[in-house]
Amino acid sequence: MTASTTEIAFQSSQINGMNVHILPTEKFKTTTIVTMIEQALSEEHVTKTALLAMVMKRASARFPETKLLRAHLDFLYGAIFDVDVTKKGERQILQIYMEVPNEKYLSNEASLLEQAIEFVGDMLVRPYVQNNAFSEKYLAQEKETLRKRMESLIDDKMKYANQRVTEEMCKGEPFALLVQGRVTDLPKISGQELYQYFKEVTTTNPINMFVVGDVDQQEVSEAIRKHIPLERSQVGELQIASTAKDVSAEREVIDRLDVNQAKLNIGCRTQITYKDDDYPTLLLFNGILGGFPHSKLFVNVREKESLAYYAVSRLESHKGILMIMSGIDVSKYQRAVEIIKQQLELMQQGTITEEEMSQTRATLSNQFRELLDSARGMIDFTYNGVISGRPRKIEELLAGINQATIEDIKKVASKVTIDTIYLLRDKKGEA
Amino acid sequence: MQTTVFEQVNETVYHEALQNGLQVYLVPKQGFSKTYAVFTTRYGSIDSHFRTRSGEEINVPDGIAHFLEHKMFEKKDRDVMHEFSKNGASCNAFTSFNRTAYLFSCTDKLDDNLNLLLDYVQDPYFTDASVEKEKGIIGQEITMYDDNPDWKVYMNLLKAMYQKYPINIEIAGTIETISHITKEYLYQCYETFYHPANMLLLVVGSFEPEAIMKLIRENQGAKEFPPAPQITRVFPEEPSAPAEAKVEAFLTVGLPKCMIGIKEKENGLTKEALLKRELTTKLVLDIAFGTSSAVYERLYDSELITESFDFDYSSEQDYAYTIIGGDTPDPERLVETIKAEIEQLKQNGIAQDDFERAKRKKIGNFLRSLNSVEFIANQFTSFKFNGNDLFSVVPTLESITREDVEKRLKEHFLIEQMAVSIVRSASPQE
Repeated sequence: MTASTTEIAFQSSQINGMNVHILPTEKFKTTTIVTMIEQALSEEHVTKTALLAMVMKRASARFPETKLLRAHLDFLYGAIFDVDVTKKGERQILQIYMEVPNEKYLSNEASLLEQAIEFVGDMLVRPYVQNNAFSEKYLAQEKETLRKRMESLIDDKMKYANQRVTEEMCKGEPFALLVQGRVTDLPKISGQELYQYFKEVTTTNPINMFVVGDVDQQEVSEAIRKHIPLERSQVGELQIASTAKDVSAEREVIDRLDVNQAKLNIGCRTQITYKDDDYPTLLLFNGILGGFPHSKLFVNVREKESLAYYAVSRLESHKGILMIMSGIDVSKYQRAVEIIKQQLELMQQGTITEEEMSQTRATLSNQFRELLDSARGMIDFTYNGVISGRPRKIEELLAGINQATIEDIKKVASKVTIDTIYLLRDKKGEA
Repeated sequence: MQTTVFEQVNETVYHEALQNGLQVYLVPKQGFSKTYAVFTTRYGSIDSHFRTRSGEEINVPDGIAHFLEHKMFEKKDRDVMHEFSKNGASCNAFTSFNRTAYLFSCTDKLDDNLNLLLDYVQDPYFTDASVEKEKGIIGQEITMYDDNPDWKVYMNLLKAMYQKYPINIEIAGTIETISHITKEYLYQCYETFYHPANMLLLVVGSFEPEAIMKLIRENQGAKEFPPAPQITRVFPEEPSAPAEAKVEAFLTVGLPKCMIGIKEKENGLTKEALLKRELTTKLVLDIAFGTSSAVYERLYDSELITESFDFDYSSEQDYAYTIIGGDTPDPERLVETIKAEIEQLKQNGIAQDDFERAKRKKIGNFLRSLNSVEFIANQFTSFKFNGNDLFSVVPTLESITREDVEKRLKEHFLIEQMAVSIVRSASPQE
C-alpha cells in the first residue's frame, strides 16, 4: 500500500495574471477546479458581488440559455458547477467551483479536464452579455432568488441567531454584513453596472485558481493559458478593514420569535487572527473550551447539567471572533450563561488538565490530517494561508499546537473578552 | 477472507463472516490519510414492536432506539467520547428508521480505536440515574427539531403518506414518549437487536486488510455471546393509499415549504430488483425535474420554485417513496403544476437524449461520491442490508434502458399515491 502524503504540496505559478496552484494526486476519482476572486467586504460591494455570483452561473456566451448550460454540465458526466460567495474576515470571496470525473474511469473520454477548464474560462472571460450589460431576464430572476435567500435565513434558527449576534456585535464593521448582501441594494443594480463590476473584479481583484486531481501540471497550465485569457494589467491591493476592536463593556441583546428552543450565542473578541504567532495556541484554547465532545462546554453544559443537546465554540479565524453557541430551555438562560462564564474563567486561570491538553492536541491533529483526504479541504487550508499573508504547512501548525503550554493558553485567554451575549427566545413570558 | 475486485471503479472489498455471525467488510483506500469505521445494527426507530428473547411480545416507547444510541456512550467509570478523544479520533452515532450506526474517523491509532468501537458497543451499561439525566439532553434535541421547518415538512409528509407503518413516528420520539423509557426497556432492546449476527462492521480507509481482519477476529473471538436470537418484528399492515392528501403546519419561515410525496404502491422487492427500481426511479426524477429539464426551467421562470427545489427517492424492502419540493411562494399552485407536468410527461414520453444525459450525470456523480470515505462507509452498509453492493451501481445504471424508465414513470408517478406537506408562517413575518 502506498504511503499516504502528510503535507499539502501545491505547485504555484502565475498564468494570465492569476495565481494558479496545482496539486497532482492519484487519490481522487475526479478533478476539482476552484477559482477564488477576492473582494473587500463593504457596503458598496457586498450585494453586487453576491448578485454577480448568481447571474454568472445562469449563462455564458457559448451557452446563452441556462437549460443549455446545465445540459452541457450533465453531458460532462454530471460536472459539479456552482458560483457562490463566502465571508473570510473582512473579505468577501466569490468562488467558482467545478468538478469533473477523471477520464480514466470512463471509456472513450479524452478531454473532460480541458472541457472543464474551458467552461471556467466561459465564466471568467466569455460571459453572456447584450449591449454591454448582463441579460435583464437573468438579472431580474436572480435578484428575486437572492432576496429569497436572504429572507430564508430565518428558517434555520441556529444560523439566524449567529447572523444576528454578529450584526449586533460588529455594528459599524464590514463583518456585520450578511454575505448575500442587503435587500435594499437590489433594485438599484442594473445589468450594465453589474457587467462593469464584473469586468472590474476580473481585471483588478486578486484571483487564485486551484486544481486538484490526477493531472499533469504542464497540461493544466497550458489549458488555462489557452482557455482563460484574462487581461489583467493592473491588479491592485485591496483595502481590507482592520479586524481589531476593543471591547468596552459586555452587552446583552434579546430577540423574540416564535420558537420552542432558545438559542444562546456568546460572541467573544480574541484579538488574534490566522496570521498571528499565537494562532495555534488559540486553536488549542478553542478546542479545550468547546471544540469537541471532551471540551469544557460539552462536559459541563450538556453532560453534567443536561441543559443542552449542543454547547460548542467556533472560531472566525480571519476576524478574531470566538462564538459560543447552545440551544437551551429559556428558563435556564441565567444558569447556562453562568456555567459558560465559569468555563471561560477556568481557561483564564489555566485550570486545564494534562488530559484535556493531550486530548485536544490529538483531536486537532486528526482534524488537520483529515483535510488531506478532501480536495476542497486542502484548497481551503491553502487559501487561508494565501489571504492572510501567512502560509503555513499543516506540520507547522501542529507543531505550534504541540508546543503551546498552559501558560501560553493563559496568555491567549487573557485577551479573550465577552463582547455580546445574545438570546433568541420565544414570545411568551416576561420581557 | 473473501476478496472482490470492482475493476471499473478501482476498488477492492474484503469480506468475512465471523463465527458469532458478525459480517465484516473492509475497503482499503490507496493514499488516504484517514480511516472511517462504522458498526451498524439492523435496528431503528420503526422496530418498536417485537418479541423479546424470552418470546414475550412487547411494545416499547417511541424514540427508544435513538435513546439507546445516546446511552451506549456512558460507561460505569468512563465516557467513551473521551476515550476516542485521547486517540485523536472523532466519534459519532446516528439512528435512522431501520438502523443504528456507531462510527469514528481517525488518522492515527486505528487498532486502539477499532477495539474501542467494538468493545463499547458490545458492553451496555444503563442505570436509572443516567437514563433520567439523558431525558433532559434528548428533550433539547427534540425541541431543536421541533423548530426546524425542513424536518417538520419532511416528517409531516411521512405522516401524510403512511397510515400505520411506523416511519410516521419521529425517530427521537417526543418528550412524552421518552419519559416512559427505563433501563429495563433499554436492556430488552439491546439484547434483542445488538447480537453480532444482526450487525455489520465496515472499515474504509488507510490500512492493511489482513492485519485489520485479524484484529477484528481476535477481538470478537475473545468474547462470549449467547446464540443469536430469532428476531421477530411485528409491523402493522399498511394500506397502499396515503393517509391524508394534505397536512399543514406553522413555523416562522421566509417562504412556505412544500413537499409532495409519492408513496410506492407495491413493496417486497429485494436485492438486484430493488436496486434497479431505485436507480430507475432516480433517473426518471432527474429527467423530469433536474436542473436541466424543461419543467425545472418553467417552474423557476414562473418563480414557483427557488434554488432549494430538490427531489429524492428512498427505497427499502418494506417501504419506498419519492419526495419532490422546496420553498415556494404558492404551495397550492406548485402542487397543481407538478401534477400537470407529470401527466404531460407521461403522454409525451422520454426523449433518448434526455435519458442518455441523465445516465451520464448519474455515473459521474457516483464516481465523485467515491472520493469520500464517509459516503462509502454510510452507503455501503445500507446497500448490504438490502442485499446489494455499492460498487455495482455503475453496471446496474448501465443496464437500464429508456423503456425501463418510461415504464417506471407510468407505474410509480401516480396522482392517487400522492400526499402534500406544507409549512408556513402563522402570521405575516415580523
